[in-house]
Amino acid sequence: MRPSESFPKVKYLYGPVATIFASTKTGSWRILRPVIQQEKCTRCGTCAKHCPLDVIEVDRGNKEKEVVIDFEYCKGCGICANVCPRKCIEMVPERGVK
Amino acid sequence: MIQLKLYGLGGQGVVTAGKLLATAVAIYENKYAQTVPAYGHERRGAPVYADVILGEEPILVKSFVYKPDYVMVFDLAVLEKGVDVTEGAHANTCFVVNAHQLNPEFPFINKFGSVYYVDATKIALEVLGIDIPNSAMLGAFAATGVVSIDAVCAALEETFKGKAGERNVEAARRCYEAVRKFS
Amino acid sequence: MDGNAAAAEAMRLARVQVISAYPITPQSPIAEKLADFVAEGSLKAKYVRVESEHTAMSVAIGAQLTGVRACTATSSVGLALMHEVLGVASGCRLPIVMAVVNRSLASPWSLWCDHQDSMAERDSGWLQFYAEDPQEVLDYLLIAYRVAEDPRVLLPAMVCMDGFFVSHTPAVVLVPEQETVDSFLPPYNPANLYLDPDDPMFVNDLTPPSDYTEMRYQHKVAFEEAFKVITEVQEEFFRLFRRRYSFIETYKCDDADVVLVTLGSMSGTAKYVVNELRAKGYKVGVLKIVVFRPFPADQIRNALKHVPVIGVMDRSAGLGAEGGPVWIEVSRALSGLEPMPKVAGFVGGLGGRDLAPHVIEKAFRNLIDIKEGKIEMRQGSKWIDVREDAMKIREVKVNV
Repeated sequence: MRPSESFPKVKYLYGPVATIFASTKTGSWRILRPVIQQEKCTRCGTCAKHCPLDVIEVDRGNKEKEVVIDFEYCKGCGICANVCPRKCIEMVPERGVK
Repeated sequence: MIQLKLYGLGGQGVVTAGKLLATAVAIYENKYAQTVPAYGHERRGAPVYADVILGEEPILVKSFVYKPDYVMVFDLAVLEKGVDVTEGAHANTCFVVNAHQLNPEFPFINKFGSVYYVDATKIALEVLGIDIPNSAMLGAFAATGVVSIDAVCAALEETFKGKAGERNVEAARRCYEAVRKFS
Repeated sequence: MDGNAAAAEAMRLARVQVISAYPITPQSPIAEKLADFVAEGSLKAKYVRVESEHTAMSVAIGAQLTGVRACTATSSVGLALMHEVLGVASGCRLPIVMAVVNRSLASPWSLWCDHQDSMAERDSGWLQFYAEDPQEVLDYLLIAYRVAEDPRVLLPAMVCMDGFFVSHTPAVVLVPEQETVDSFLPPYNPANLYLDPDDPMFVNDLTPPSDYTEMRYQHKVAFEEAFKVITEVQEEFFRLFRRRYSFIETYKCDDADVVLVTLGSMSGTAKYVVNELRAKGYKVGVLKIVVFRPFPADQIRNALKHVPVIGVMDRSAGLGAEGGPVWIEVSRALSGLEPMPKVAGFVGGLGGRDLAPHVIEKAFRNLIDIKEGKIEMRQGSKWIDVREDAMKIREVKVNV
C-alpha cells in the first residue's frame, strides 16, 4: 500500500485498478498443510525442485539444517508430498495444526 | 418457495452440494429446484457460496437468495474470514452447521430459528477419508424435513456412482443419524 | 441440467459433424461436454482444437462450406474476437448455429453476465434468440437450426443465454427423443454455397461496388423471410414437442397499464415480481423478447398498443447513446402509435450484478409513479442499480 501519511490529498481514479493488494499471499488458499518428518528426510531436494511456487528451502545433503517451507505463499497443492521419494511429507488439514 | 444459502470454503464441495440438493428435490421428489452458484476468483480455501431455491411450483425467479429460510455452514472458518452467515436471515431462519458443539458466541445462536449441528468433517474423514463434508452436510440437512434422506441418497448415488456413491451415501446417513437440534 | 449442458445436448441431438470451440468462462462446460460426447462415441463428430475464437469460427465456416453441420460456442471477449469472421459467416449465408453464453465485455474485466457481448454483434447479420432458462436453450437451438438452414433464410444464428444465471443454473429439462429430433431436423443439405471439387466455386471473392449493395439487400430480404419461417418452425416445433414459442412472450399484459420489456433470465424474475405486485392490486405485466434479430417490431407494437406506460430493461450500458439498445429499438417500434405510450428505459444488471426481485420492483415502482403522474419520465435510460458513490470507489492519496 502507498504510504498515506505522506500523501495528504485525496484523488479518485476511474476504471479497474487496485491499490490494496489483499490476496497476493497465496498461503491463504491452503486447506492442507505439508508437514515434513525432518528426521526421516534425507535432504535430497526433490520437493524443492518440484515446488511450483519455489517456497521450499533445502540445504542439500545437510541433515543439520531443517527443511523450511514459506507458509505465507505455500498453497498446499501437495506436489511435494507426492514426489517425495522417502514419503516423509504428510498433508494434514489446516484446521488440525492451527 | 423455500430459499437456502450454503456457505463454505473452496474445495469443500459447496457448489456441488447445491446441485445435489437441487437434483434430490427436482428428480427424486418431483418438485422444483434451482441453484445459482456464485462463481468468483475460484481458489481453494476462499469463501464460497451457493444459493438454492426449492418449490412446489415452477420457480420463476432467476436470481440469488437474499432472505434465506435455511442456511448451511460447511465450515465455521468462514466466520473468521469475515463472512456474515446471518445476512438476510429472519426470525425463523434455520441453521445447519458443521460443528461438533455449539458456542453461545456463534452469531446464529438464539436470534433466529433452530440450529442443527453435527461434526460433518469428522464423519467425512472417517467414511470418505477426505475433508469434503458436502454429502455429510446434505444428510444433516435432511433432518430438517425439507428433503427426505432417501432423495438425498438417491442423488448422491446418481452423481458419484459405484463405490464412491456408496461411501457418500454412508456419510450422509451417518450425519442424518448423528445431527442434533438446538432450538 | 444447466444451460450449458442443455446447449451441448441440443447440439448432439442436431448431430453436428464438426466442432471447433475455444474454452472461455462461462462457456467452457459446453466445449468440455461436446468433447466428452465425441470421446465416448455418443456423438460422431470431428473435434478440432483451435487456438482462438477467431479460428474457431473460421474452422466452422470452412467445415460448413464442405456441407456438414458445424458448431461452436463462445462468450464475451471470445465473441468480440470472432467479430470479423461473424460477418464472413453471415455474408456467405452459412447457417452456422452458435451458443453464446452472455458475459460482459472488458474492461473492467468481468466473468459475469450482461448482454453487451451479443448486443455488440446485433448488426452482424446473424439471427439472435435469447433464452430464459435451460429448457429454452435446448429448444431454441433446435428451432435455430431449422430456421437458419431454411433455403429462404440461410443465415447463421446465435442462441444467447445469461452467463451463470442460465448457463450454470440446473433446472429440469425435457430432452426429446432422437427420432423425433431427426424428423424435425433432417441432415444438412448445402443449398447455396459449398466446396466440392467436382463442382468448383470461388467463395468469398472480392465484390465490387456494383454488386455489394445487392448482396446486402439479399441479406436484408433473408431477415424479412425469417419472420415467416420462424413462425412456421415454431408451429411445427409445438406439434412435435408440445412447447409453444413465439417472437415475444407476453405475461399478464392483456389488462396491464404498466409493462416491463425484458430479455433472457431477468424475464423469470420479472414475472415473479408481477405476481407480487398484482397481489397488491397493480395491473402490471412483462413482455419478453425471444427473437431479437429479426427484431419483432410488429409483434411488440401489437402486444403493447393498449399500454400507456412501458419500461425496457437493458443489460447493456449503451455507451454514448441516449440509452440501452433494446430501449432504443422498442421505442422506435412503438413510435407510430396513437396515442404514443411513455417508454422509459432502464440500464441494470451489468457485469454480473443481480437483477434481483427488489431491483426489478424498483423499475416497476418507477413506471407506476410515471403512470400515476407522480414523476415525469426522464429522457434516456435510467441506471437503476448504480451505487451513489459511483464516482468515488477507487480512492488514492496524492501529494499534489
